[in-house]
Amino acid sequence: MTIRNLDFFGFLFIFLASILGIGTYYYLRNRRRQLYPYGNWDELLKRLAPLDHQNLERIAADPTALAAQDNHWVETMSPEDIWRLLGGMRGIEVMEKNCSVLVDLVFYVQQWYPEALLIAEQLRLNAREVEWHIGRLKATAKSGRPPAAAAEYLQQAVAIYFQMTREVLALYQQGNLPGLADLQRAL
Amino acid sequence: MHLSRTVFAFWAAGLTGHIVLLVVLLTRHRARTFPVFTTLIAANILNSIALYEIALRGSAHTYFIAYFAFASLDLVLQLAVTYELARHVFCPTGTWAPDIRKGFLLLVLTSLAIAFVLACLPSPPEKTILRTLLDRGNLFSSALQCELFVGMIAFSSTANLPWNTHVARIAQGLGFYSLVGLITEAGHNILAGTSIAYQNVTYLRMSTYLLCAGYWIVMLWLPAPAPQELPEEAQRQLFTLQRRVEYDLRKLRALKR
Repeated sequence: MTIRNLDFFGFLFIFLASILGIGTYYYLRNRRRQLYPYGNWDELLKRLAPLDHQNLERIAADPTALAAQDNHWVETMSPEDIWRLLGGMRGIEVMEKNCSVLVDLVFYVQQWYPEALLIAEQLRLNAREVEWHIGRLKATAKSGRPPAAAAEYLQQAVAIYFQMTREVLALYQQGNLPGLADLQRAL
Repeated sequence: MHLSRTVFAFWAAGLTGHIVLLVVLLTRHRARTFPVFTTLIAANILNSIALYEIALRGSAHTYFIAYFAFASLDLVLQLAVTYELARHVFCPTGTWAPDIRKGFLLLVLTSLAIAFVLACLPSPPEKTILRTLLDRGNLFSSALQCELFVGMIAFSSTANLPWNTHVARIAQGLGFYSLVGLITEAGHNILAGTSIAYQNVTYLRMSTYLLCAGYWIVMLWLPAPAPQELPEEAQRQLFTLQRRVEYDLRKLRALKR
């Protein structure tokens, strides 16, 4: 056997091992989701980390949506207040992780009810974008820039995240989808 | 050109399998959903009949030229089938999911480069140019298909896009055939074309293909699980949620700038 063929087999071996490794990992991941069409709730909910929802609600309150006499405290909320109420970097990390779970929850709707495909796909894309925005905020915070620089951006991201959690809960409630009680506890 | 009994048996089994599969695709109305896959199967039937005729009446050289032409057509159609399956997974609403588009393009380019390098590496024993080109082409095709299928599985998993049952079955068959094909084509590239080992490797590839055709016949005959109906109230809720998130996202995008 020539040296070139030996190189070929070496390359082929690495190629096959990578293909099989990556393929098996993702295939099993997909299959596990299909085996639990109603969601392996224990595992899914384990991924949801708790956040102080009262604080989130305060940050998320949209000043334009509130009555004029009530919005004083929102307008005076400083970037430091937002950062503190969210729980700093940990809060952002938790939000990012929870966002990916929300994408999963939409995936389940998409898988159970193909006729809701169009709207569920739109929602999946939106949820992915929220995830991306939060990831971007995390990177900004990690780079050492003061939270004030991104306060408004952060507030909006928190508002969307909070809305999504509430609306997904309502969706599960309306559709009488399984696992609602567990989801309510986790979200 | 003389055909051995084994080759004839493989030929007959392949042709029968393809005809049955085509009948299944047409009678179970899968052809509408998978037009390219149906074309591939129809082309394979044409391929089997034409090559048999040429093998009986034509010269070895004519047979080889025809074989090469059909192999090229098969490669193009297999890639088109991969694209068809990708469209089913990544364009569930008719347009490519934007979070996938760039990644998928990158996957295609990287896969092409890796498959090309892999196909150029082996140094085959004395063979004609056409035979070398064919063996390298087959190796390239198998490697490319393997990479694309694994990439598609990974993308759909990370983006949370579900696979429709029949799409998954066709992809599993093609993926498995490409994987075995990769090993057999590696053998073809380093073995002499006249050796017994070369022939055995060909039989292994043919058997794998017959196995896949059988799998497709059964799986495409069976109906996909019946979809459930989302309650009207939940559908409205889902719609409202999407509109709201979209509206909020617009504000967030404006802030990002």
